[in-house]
Parts: sequence; C-alpha cells; structure tokens
Amino acid sequence: MERPKISGPALVLAIMKKDLLQYSRDKLYFWLTIVGLVAYVAIFWLIPAEVTEYAVLGVTYRDLGPLDAAFSEAGEEGLRLLRFDDEDGLRRVMAGTAEAWLDADGELVVVERGDKDSRPEGGTKQTLTLGLAFPDNFLLDTLSGREATVRLLVNNNTPVELRQAMRSLVREMVFMISGHPLPVTEPVAETVILGVDRMGAQISMRERMRPMLIFFVLMMESLSLASLISVEIMHCTVLAIAATPAKPSHILLAKTLFGMLLAFVQVVVILALIDAFAVGNLPILLVAAALGGLMFSGVAMFVGSMGKDFMGTLTWMMLFILPLAIPSVASLFPGSAPLWVRLVPSYSLIDILNRAANYGAGWLELAPAFGVLVVWLLGLFGLGWLTLSRKVARL
Amino acid sequence: MNLKRVWYIFRKDLAVGPRSPLLVFMLVLPLVMTLAVQLIFTDFSGSDPRLAVYAAAPSELLVELERLPGIRLTRLDGEGRLLAAVEAHDFDAGLVLPAGFDAQLRAGDKPPLELYFSGESYAVDRMVLAISAIDAIRTVEGSAPPVRVDLINLSVGAPVSLATRLIPVVVFYAFVIAGLFAPASLLVEEKERRTLVALLTTPAKMIEVVLAKGLLGMLLAFALAAMTLAMNRVVVADLGGLAVSMLITSLFWAMLGVLIGLVAKNSEMLFGIVKGSGIVLFGPVVFYLFPSWPQWIAKLFPTFWAVDPLWQLMANDARLVDVLLPLGVVVGMCLLMLPAIVGLSRRVLRQLA
Repeated sequence: MERPKISGPALVLAIMKKDLLQYSRDKLYFWLTIVGLVAYVAIFWLIPAEVTEYAVLGVTYRDLGPLDAAFSEAGEEGLRLLRFDDEDGLRRVMAGTAEAWLDADGELVVVERGDKDSRPEGGTKQTLTLGLAFPDNFLLDTLSGREATVRLLVNNNTPVELRQAMRSLVREMVFMISGHPLPVTEPVAETVILGVDRMGAQISMRERMRPMLIFFVLMMESLSLASLISVEIMHCTVLAIAATPAKPSHILLAKTLFGMLLAFVQVVVILALIDAFAVGNLPILLVAAALGGLMFSGVAMFVGSMGKDFMGTLTWMMLFILPLAIPSVASLFPGSAPLWVRLVPSYSLIDILNRAANYGAGWLELAPAFGVLVVWLLGLFGLGWLTLSRKVARL
Repeated sequence: MNLKRVWYIFRKDLAVGPRSPLLVFMLVLPLVMTLAVQLIFTDFSGSDPRLAVYAAAPSELLVELERLPGIRLTRLDGEGRLLAAVEAHDFDAGLVLPAGFDAQLRAGDKPPLELYFSGESYAVDRMVLAISAIDAIRTVEGSAPPVRVDLINLSVGAPVSLATRLIPVVVFYAFVIAGLFAPASLLVEEKERRTLVALLTTPAKMIEVVLAKGLLGMLLAFALAAMTLAMNRVVVADLGGLAVSMLITSLFWAMLGVLIGLVAKNSEMLFGIVKGSGIVLFGPVVFYLFPSWPQWIAKLFPTFWAVDPLWQLMANDARLVDVLLPLGVVVGMCLLMLPAIVGLSRRVLRQLA
C-alpha cells in the first residue's frame, strides 16, 4: 500500500508541534520562564527613571555679597546648593555621621545618622557630593587683596573631577569679584549645544537597560534551544525523526522556526511590558526582535551541536554569549561604542533596539544597521545550520 | 554514614574531572572573566566627563587640560570631526583651539572660547568641563590663583575603584560555575547515565554520594574564587576572615548546586533551572557596578547575602566581626536547604528503586 505523501511544511509543522509539546510538558521549565520574564520586568521598573544631572553642594558662609549671585548661577548649571548654618554640621554630613534632610518647607535639617525620630516628617534626604566652607571674613579679605582660605570638604564618593572643578569655581568667583574678567570671549549660548539638548530630559539608566534585557531574553532562549538540540543529539531522538519521511532540512527548519518563535514571542512580551512600544517604532522593534531571534537560533544550533553534555553545551554557550553580551553592556554607557565593540555580531541588533526604543529612530536612519545585522545573521545562521546538519548527517 | 566512602566518591569525581571540559572551563574561566570584565568596563567607564580637543597649532592650554584630574581628554585632528563626535555624544564637550590662541590670550585680546557641549551631556559635566577649561585658561594667561582652597577628605580609607567594583562579578562566576553547576551537573549526569544506580549497588549510600558532590563543589568554588581574587590582586585587612567567609559562601553555593542537581531529573530540566534562575542568581551583582542604583533592591536576592560578605571584606576593609550578619543569613539559608536536600535525596532513591 502506498503511503500518502506528506508535504514539507506539514513535516516542519509536525516537528515544531513535537518540540512545543516537549516544552509545555515541562511545568518547571514553563514556570521558570515566567519567573524569569517577571524578574526582568520587575528589575526594569525598580531601576530609577530619574537622572541626577547635578551635584549637591553644601555651603556654609555668612555674607558673600556679589558671590551669592554667582552661586545661584552655578546652581542652574549642574550644582544644587544646600546652605548650612555652620561648618560643623556640613562636616558631619560629609563624614557620614549625620544626614541632611529638607523638610516640607524646604528648610535644611541636620540629624544624627540613624536617628529616625529627628527626621522631618514628609522630608527628603539629601546626598551631598561635596561641601564648601567659606571663612567669616572671606569677602573682606578678598576685596582687600588678602589671600583667604576656603575649605573644600569631600569624601570618597566625591568624583575627583568635581573636586578640581570646585577649586576652579571658587578661584573664578574670586577673580570676578576682584575685578578680573574672563580672559576669553564667551560664545553665544545657543551655538554651543550640539544635537538635541536633553538637559532635564536625559535618557535614564532604566531606559538604557531596555536593549540589555532584550539581549538576556534572547540569550536565555538560545540556551533553551541549544539544550533541546544537544539533548536530541545525546539521546539520538533526532535519529527517530530521521526515520520518518522528514529530511534533515525539515528538522533544521523546524528547530530554526521554533527557536525564533520562542524568542520572538518573549521579546515582544518584554518589549510591551517595559514600555518600549510607547516610545519606539513598533514595526522596527518587531522586525529587530524577529531577526534577533533568528540570529540567536543560529547560535543555539551551533552550540547545541557542539556540546556533548550539559557542561559542554554551557561551556560553548558561555564562549559565544560572553562576547555577544558586550554591546548590550556598552548600551548602558553614553556615546558611540568603541570600534572593537561595533565589530561584535550582536552590536547592530543592540544598536537598532537602543536607537528605536530610546531615541525614536526611523527606518531610514536604521537602514545601515539593519544591513549589517542581516550580514551577521547570515553568517551566524549559516554556521549554525552547517554545524547541525553535519552533526545530524554523521549520526 | 561512612566518611571513607565519601572520600572515595569524591576522589572518583576528581579523577574523572580532567577528562571533562568542565575542568578546563573552570581553570580558564577566572582568566577569561577577569580579562573580559576589565576590558569591557575600563573602556566604557562612563562617569568621567569626556573632553575632546582640536588644536590647530601646539598650545600650552592643551598641556594644562591634560593635567586635569578625572577628565578623559582626547585629541582629535579636525574641527569637523570634533563637532560630529560631540553631537554623537562620544564626548561631553569639545574645545577648538585656533592657531595663536595662547598668544592672543597672553596679549589680552580675549580670543573666542570655542567650547561645544553635547546635547546629551549632563549639566554637572558641562559645569565641570567649562569651569575646568576656564581655570586652565587662567593658568596659561598667567593669573595667580587669588584664593587658597584646602581640600579636606572626611572619609576614612581609600575610595572604591571601578576595578574593585568589578570583582564581585568575576568572583560570582567562579562560585556559580564551580560551586553550583559542578555538583548539579555531576548529579544529573550520574542520574542520566544510570551510574548512580551502579554506585548505589555498592555499600555507598545516597547521602554519601550527595555529600561527596557537595564537597567537590565547595572545594572547587573555594579554589576558583581564591584564584580569581589572587588574579585580581585583592588585598584585604582580614585574610583569615576572608577565608572563613569564602568557606561559608562556598558551602552555600555547593548546597544550592546539590539541591538543583537533586531536583533536576535530566539535563533539560537543569538547563531550565539555570535559565529561569539566572536573573535571580546574577541580579545582586549588577548593583555593585552601579552604586547609584537603590541598593535595597539587591538585598531582596538571596544570593546577595552570599556575595556581600566578600565585598565588605574586599572593598570596605571590613573584618570578620563586621560581616557576621550577612554570614549568619548565609548559614541560615544553608540550614534551610539541609532538610530539603535530605528529603530530595530520599526521593531520588525511591525513584531509582
């Protein structure tokens, strides 16, 4: 009796169904996937959305005359001033033995560290970056040409460049009140900012984390697919499939589509839950997620066919994933990534996700990055396909 | 329980080790991780303000700017390149020094200050770079500082460097790979290959097998973590305290590994557990890299308590008495895991029977 002919797509679908069934039967796996996704989303929303663009400067002085205005000006340009009544309080806060709080009326209150009862109700704790203590006779001394001494109070959390800048700020203020104008012509304010001025609306660390989280999901899913493949190879179940009308190409295609779909669905869920669709171009993000899923399916096919057991697969996965993770870490930091990072295959994917989700970049702007992504995708996918097909053929 | 049999099983696993990629991986891992993490973060360390300078002719101002502490200065070879790089936020600011700038300055001609800021630069960085540039200009002009500024550091001890903040990441991997994955995968492999059944037909008991795997994980974790710390040239005030903390945390990771190995019926399940728990395991480590993030979140992760004592000893020059609380939490978690391990061992035995 002649067996009915089964079409290629039906075979691929059947293998995918088998994989899905295998997947869904593992309740622990299913729940851990959910836990992982919830944890990613929770971490995203727990990271502060605010960007602290200024340093908090505690100052103590009696009468600075015209310097009061200079301080206010500096306050608009990256410093938030907190005026202390005495140097002792400022010193204790900088040393960490006391805390500075602003009460509901905006008045500064210094309380001993850990003394919860003395904290003002509805107040906010202030974290000082550095302090300046001016001597009582500072203005008089300066105007009469005598060299005054200002104490710059710092702690280990004070960045070294701010220490230097505060020194320079004090010197410049004294230059100003002692009649020494700037030795250069200041540029017109409008011409000195290049690009969109994001002062007050900077990209927060939370937003910068978006590409990193997507990468983690892709990485975890490629680990899942790699484990599925390696287990099939270890247990030779792939041979059982090969005994059916399915050809190795059907098996490979089914694995690819299954891996891509698994990653794609999770990436889309994550993107939605971390509010990426609200900011970014939805079709771009979806296409990037699909290409990312495909790229990592290639990695998974390679890793899965190389590893002989759990540790072997994990070793290969780490060897591949660690370099691929670098661009996602780079996206946490401002500016363009160094050249060597841009040569990492996953860079273009992370770059697209970053620019689309955080900066609202469009198709035209991202076209070159998509081009590079497709080239890397073909390379990695080709490597995975070739390695796995050879492994299956050898079995 | 017979300790001699535990020792024999332990020795068997250790002898099989060199044939496994696990051992090679574990030996290479600290080196690879140290190199990778240092390379990644030293190239990206993002907190320092970044200033690009294009000087059309040699300038003393450039020399002064290079002396500024905490500012990453880069010389560029064209004004157009500088403007493009600043606009792309590759730098927080860019300074263009036309030919003859120094001479004009000294002659009192007030040359224009061509200082550009990136739209994405932070207000504090703009302030730091502008005021530092002006201070350097005053120096080149020849103005003596009209005021004395005394710097007083009110902190005790040295600041925590980026390199130190990276150590928990590297040590964490050592603990997870050696302490957690090694015993877990050894147990799962024994179950899958049915060698566990063979082992249990000898006088060896299940609890002895579990103890041997745990002991191996603990010692490997301790050795690998110690190697990692040595490679990162970690200096601590209380070496004995560090050793005790490492032993206790190694025990924690090994027990966790044994627990996972007993729960996982096969490699797929082990992969699943690793996949699902990855974020929970790794979560707290990220907080050491970003101290400005709310640190209380890190304390929600159980693994935080197993990393924090080492961090306190390494970064804050703490002594053993200072880390008794987190170590107590680790011991508490170990005690909680103990009945679970015993119960799961019995379950595995029943399943095998």
